[in-house]
Amino acid sequence: MPGPLTKDDIYVCLPAYNEATVLPEVIASLKEHGFRKICVIDDGSTDGTSKVARSLGITTIAHQINRGAGAAVQTGIEVARLKRWPALVFMDADGQHLPEDIHALLGKMTETNSDLIVGSRFLSDLEQMPASRRLFNAIGNLMTNIFCKQRYTDSQSGLRLLNQRAINELQLEIDGFGFCSEMLIKAEKAGLKISETPTHVRYTDYSRSKGQDLQMGFSTAFNFLFNVLFK
Amino acid sequence: MEIRLFQLLVPGVALLFIAAVAVRYLKGKINLSEFLLSLIFWMGLGVFAIFPDNISVFVAKLFGIKDNVNAVLFLSIGVIVYLLFKLYAEIKENRRKLTLLTRKIALKDAEELDEL
Repeated sequence: MPGPLTKDDIYVCLPAYNEATVLPEVIASLKEHGFRKICVIDDGSTDGTSKVARSLGITTIAHQINRGAGAAVQTGIEVARLKRWPALVFMDADGQHLPEDIHALLGKMTETNSDLIVGSRFLSDLEQMPASRRLFNAIGNLMTNIFCKQRYTDSQSGLRLLNQRAINELQLEIDGFGFCSEMLIKAEKAGLKISETPTHVRYTDYSRSKGQDLQMGFSTAFNFLFNVLFK
Repeated sequence: MEIRLFQLLVPGVALLFIAAVAVRYLKGKINLSEFLLSLIFWMGLGVFAIFPDNISVFVAKLFGIKDNVNAVLFLSIGVIVYLLFKLYAEIKENRRKLTLLTRKIALKDAEELDEL
């Protein structure tokens, strides 16, 4: 049986769509914190995200057309499976997550022997989150928790750590943001152990401009329900 | 019983569609459930065109709807919702295939560029 995961086992995957302006800073920050195994999944960007990532010497997988955050995450999982990576962290490429929180995810995985760790913004500095995001997340949590056995405080968090068992078991089908909930539901069905740990977010004007608006939120909710109910 | 033009036209068109669907099934282009569903739909439409009043009164009585015209409207809305559902499911399936193809190309490109 392999020993507990260490920082050196971790591959950081950044699903990215038009993040060329912030990507160098995010990657530099990850490297500063000792995370050198980085992979960018460029989801059909039109601003040269792939070019920027490759110029920084980062492994880059580029979708030719935009397929959504969930599709990019599943591509990351498939790369990890193909390359037999022992652990995979998903982090938003807009710079809202803090690389130092990956240590908290790793610590929680070792402590609880979990297969999937979700970084929860609601277990830490909630006051930083804009009110509209808080509302979307509350609705997301409500809908996810209806279909899950466990109760999650941040089912929509993009900061997640997967061990090899989770990498091998998960097969996501929702292309859009609904993948966050889908991953938890499928992980539970596969018998994976899931835990949450407090993590922090840094909301900037840039990161506020990304993510879901009201229309996307409705579309995500509809797609998620359709997938769950009519699969 | 007075025969109106649509009572001949609609069953005729329905028969043509049934024949086309049968050919598609025999050529293996659609599966049995798709064939049966289409068969039921076109046969239903044909029979309804032949006996519009009897069927609409029957449906109105069955669902407790006062007016047979309302019954036809409700039934039509039901059929449209079902067709929309089918259409949405088909679009979703096409999107899924597009994502799989996109991913396959991305992984192949990455391999060729020695990224993997």
